[in-house]
Amino acid sequence: MPPSNFNKWATLPDPTPAELARAAAGDVEAFKTIVERYKGMVYSVAYNVLGNHTDAEDAAQEAFLRCYRKLPQYRSEAAFSTWLFRLALTASVDYQRRERRRPEPVEAPDIAGDEPELGDGISAAMLTAALRDLPDDYRVPTVLRDIYGLPYQEIADITARPLGTVKVMVHRGRASLRLRLQAERES
Amino acid sequence: MDCSYFGSRLNLYVDGELGYLEVAELQGHLSFCPDCAAELARLSEVRGALAAWGEVELAPPPGFAERIAAAAAQEARPGQATVGRVVGGALEALDDALGRIPLPGGRTVPVKNVLGYGIAATAVIIQVERFLRRTRELKPL
Ligand SMILES: [Zn+2]
Repeated sequence: MPPSNFNKWATLPDPTPAELARAAAGDVEAFKTIVERYKGMVYSVAYNVLGNHTDAEDAAQEAFLRCYRKLPQYRSEAAFSTWLFRLALTASVDYQRRERRRPEPVEAPDIAGDEPELGDGISAAMLTAALRDLPDDYRVPTVLRDIYGLPYQEIADITARPLGTVKVMVHRGRASLRLRLQAERES
Repeated sequence: MDCSYFGSRLNLYVDGELGYLEVAELQGHLSFCPDCAAELARLSEVRGALAAWGEVELAPPPGFAERIAAAAAQEARPGQATVGRVVGGALEALDDALGRIPLPGGRTVPVKNVLGYGIAATAVIIQVERFLRRTRELKPL
């Protein structure tokens, strides 16, 4: 079942069976066409989970390589975009759990398009800075829950944390974001 | 019932985790408590901003697709098992299971690296032994 905030990405056309077959047989050019189409989705997921560009690029690359390896096992009962979205989420969370994150100079993400409408006085730079400054333990479940709309049980599975812990982390993540945004707006 | 009781339920409320009686009770309180109503509005605002952010597409760095295609070209064909991939897969599973080994000085090293170097070293030793055996066998000639 696709997550509830998945709408935008679900509109991307799935690769045709022929494209998939060629990529699954090791045709790198066919695979590259798939990467070009979905790189925005995969990179955005990785950036939101990890909070910086360097780690996001590594994790996004890992997600696409897992996709390349697993293509022969992909079955079309799930939309390709949904399947790849899951791979991107799990690759990013695995990366976060495994790698030491690199401190990086504060840099706003590159938005592909216009400045989004996020709410009264909330800019993209404010929101991403607030997310980046959350402790990993809060940010990852909060991103999965409120940015991507995953059910708590699924977040517990992906992050390998108890359900109750995940809920508390999300509640704290929200509270901390709320205070931060409020403080920034008042300053 | 005071505000701290209802305040602690706002997260459950927005997550749809309250029963209908609890929802009715909370909504009753919200209808005459501006503090809790404001609290709910702020919580909903944050959630709204996050959900809207989820629709935003971020641009990967230039050359991203090319680098991935190049990395994919280094791989064996998908689905085709190679010794490297089988060993790599097993190491990755071990890595997930075992995590990292602490080194002196507070650094850590993934278990898979230690095992990986071990396997690589074994392979080198086998090759060297083979070579030595062959030179020994050749000597009498
Ligand atoms: Zn109240």
